[in-house]
Amino acid sequence: MAVSATLRLDGVGFSYGAEAALRDVSFEVAAGERVALLGRNGAGKTTLVRLVAGLLHPDAGTVWVGGWDTGERAPEELARRVGSLFQHADQQLFARTVREDVGFGPRALGFPVHEVRRRTEEALDALALHAHAEQHPYDLPPALRKLAALAGALALEPMVLVLDEPTGGLDRGLRAHVADALREHAERGAALLVVTHDLAFAAETLDRGIVLDGGRLACDEPLAPLLGSAERLKPLGLVPPTVAALSVALDLSGRPVRERDAAHALARVAGGGPGL
Amino acid sequence: MTRLALEEVTFWYPATRAPALREVSLEVAAGEIVALVGKVGAGASTLLLVAADLAPRVTGGRLAGAVRRRARSGIVLPTPWTQLSGMAFTVWDEVAFGPANLGWPGHEIARHVDHALERLEIVSLAARDPITLSGGELQRVIVAGLLAMDPDLVLLDEPTAELDPAGARSMWRLLRLLAGEGKAIVVATSELDAVPDVADRVVWLEAGAVRAIGTPQLLAEDAACDDGLGTTVARIWRAAGLAPPYPLTVADAVQRWP
Amino acid sequence: MRALHPFTLLAVAAALPALAWILPAPAGGLATAGIAFCLLGSRGLRRGLWPALVAAAPFWLFLLLLHDVRTTLAIGLRISTMVASFVWLAAVLAPDRLVEATVARGWSITAAYLFAATLSAVPMLRARARRIVEAQRCRGLSPRGSVANRLRALRALALPLVLSALHEVDERTLALEARGLVPGARRTPLAPPPDRVVERVVRWGLLLLCLAALVRRVA
Repeated sequence: MAVSATLRLDGVGFSYGAEAALRDVSFEVAAGERVALLGRNGAGKTTLVRLVAGLLHPDAGTVWVGGWDTGERAPEELARRVGSLFQHADQQLFARTVREDVGFGPRALGFPVHEVRRRTEEALDALALHAHAEQHPYDLPPALRKLAALAGALALEPMVLVLDEPTGGLDRGLRAHVADALREHAERGAALLVVTHDLAFAAETLDRGIVLDGGRLACDEPLAPLLGSAERLKPLGLVPPTVAALSVALDLSGRPVRERDAAHALARVAGGGPGL
Repeated sequence: MTRLALEEVTFWYPATRAPALREVSLEVAAGEIVALVGKVGAGASTLLLVAADLAPRVTGGRLAGAVRRRARSGIVLPTPWTQLSGMAFTVWDEVAFGPANLGWPGHEIARHVDHALERLEIVSLAARDPITLSGGELQRVIVAGLLAMDPDLVLLDEPTAELDPAGARSMWRLLRLLAGEGKAIVVATSELDAVPDVADRVVWLEAGAVRAIGTPQLLAEDAACDDGLGTTVARIWRAAGLAPPYPLTVADAVQRWP
Repeated sequence: MRALHPFTLLAVAAALPALAWILPAPAGGLATAGIAFCLLGSRGLRRGLWPALVAAAPFWLFLLLLHDVRTTLAIGLRISTMVASFVWLAAVLAPDRLVEATVARGWSITAAYLFAATLSAVPMLRARARRIVEAQRCRGLSPRGSVANRLRALRALALPLVLSALHEVDERTLALEARGLVPGARRTPLAPPPDRVVERVVRWGLLLLCLAALVRRVA
């Protein structure tokens, strides 16, 4: 018997009025899988995030979250299984302090106080937000507000994490925190679906790429070879990230797409010892 | 010709004791692109607000030092959806909002708006309602709204945050084009790999102060790499144990490679 | 309706409540409320009639508790006229057209903007409330179920709604300043809405009608 996927889309279609945003999209994401959802502006990625969170219901097909048909569940019920991050972080922060805000989800779901506290502290830890825990969310710069909203989603400890551009405007240090936190949640069994234009971040953190183009599934395959192919990315509005471009330009063996792997490959060719 | 000069500028937001900028001195000339880099909260956004004459005039707070502007400036803030006028039902009218406020004659407004839409490659969106746009489309509309006002000093805070990679490339190309026409440009960005091909000079900010000013080659130095501000190629070169100076970009690396 | 000059729309929305209070009850109120709800009906049930009915209902309830049927009917119809006129105005008056019209009349752009922004505040707050509620539901807060549940959800919404709106005003102020919306700016009207003679006549007519009704009432 096949293990049922954590997240499954079956022939999903959605339109805003007469304008089709998604057409016949099908894919599965298993527990622990880390998937990048890519595509140009307006390809339907944000619509897909809202469908998985249950804020929209498909016109055609079904979105399954661990056997739940999202079309038949309210978003607050789905919150037990899906953690989401949307584009406008400002409208996802509700409390007087960052700490209180991160605990909003676990509290709303009725977890006991000690459990709310554990989840809150873990999420703050994971994203290095402790220094800002007592600040008002609006007193943070926009990039950190997004991080606070992400911590709120992590505190739900969901089986599916669906995130819309979690790294926009973040510096390298903060991006590394996000990457570590996501890897850890995946190791604990969460299925990750991450919308991002930051292909360098995707290469470092995620393994599989799903590309939408004009609302249709354009490809679904391992991320590394895809990111190395400028010819294939170009018609999809994408550009190879720097590491992939470097690997191709210097003809590094194995065409690495992650910084660490590229440094090793480079060191091997140059005959020096890698400094990592 | 200097378009903007900051002399020993220190700035405090209202009701804060620690300054957001500390003794920052910087000159920006016509035709030049200056990139502001640093960690989140290092002061790049504040520096842009000061340069745009929004801080402290609109934000409140206190400024010490001198700011001299010999140009009309325009700024694009980081979140595009809070920059819509709320008074336009089409993208065309949204882009025309600024020029109309400047009191230009109608035909001048139309010329500048059409030109800005072309430059941002959003002519096809002209009749759309701005609230139906995606984040990336919106960001282009806001930048078009700025360019349509024809400022001599262009200030941009993370202008590619919402753009897809191809869109980001077009944006950087557009900035070079504008500099070529004589505009002075200051841009805060976390997209470090784009900086060497775009910027003439780099200002490295740390905790509100200027840590270093130099050519983009700054982003290949050990100090910058240590602080997470090296370009990807420089970091890889360094991590591989190869000797400095590190290449900045893929093109540099290819030249360096035997 | 949207093609009418903004001042005409304003005049209608002001004249109806004025007449409702001036004309003798309950016939006057019945007539004005009737007209206002007919106007609203043209906007459809969901976007027009429904919000007005929901907004007016509590007033009727309180009036019934405090007064006899006669007074309730008299005041209730007047209040319903006010509510319906406002909802109708908010639905048909495009803020950009209002700004254009006022600027064309020589108002300063800041005053025109403030005036228009006040009128469009309600739909904007509603959209913001919707997004906040969506985000809260995605984090497990249910706005449905028992009365206690609904109250809890309402309380959770109130503070962030106000705070986020205030915060956005800060950011928007910066953006608008940067886009030339500064005191004293002389804006070029882009496409001032045409003001036909018929509409001017209608506006003067409404004013005269109100004055006549007032004189008659006082006399």
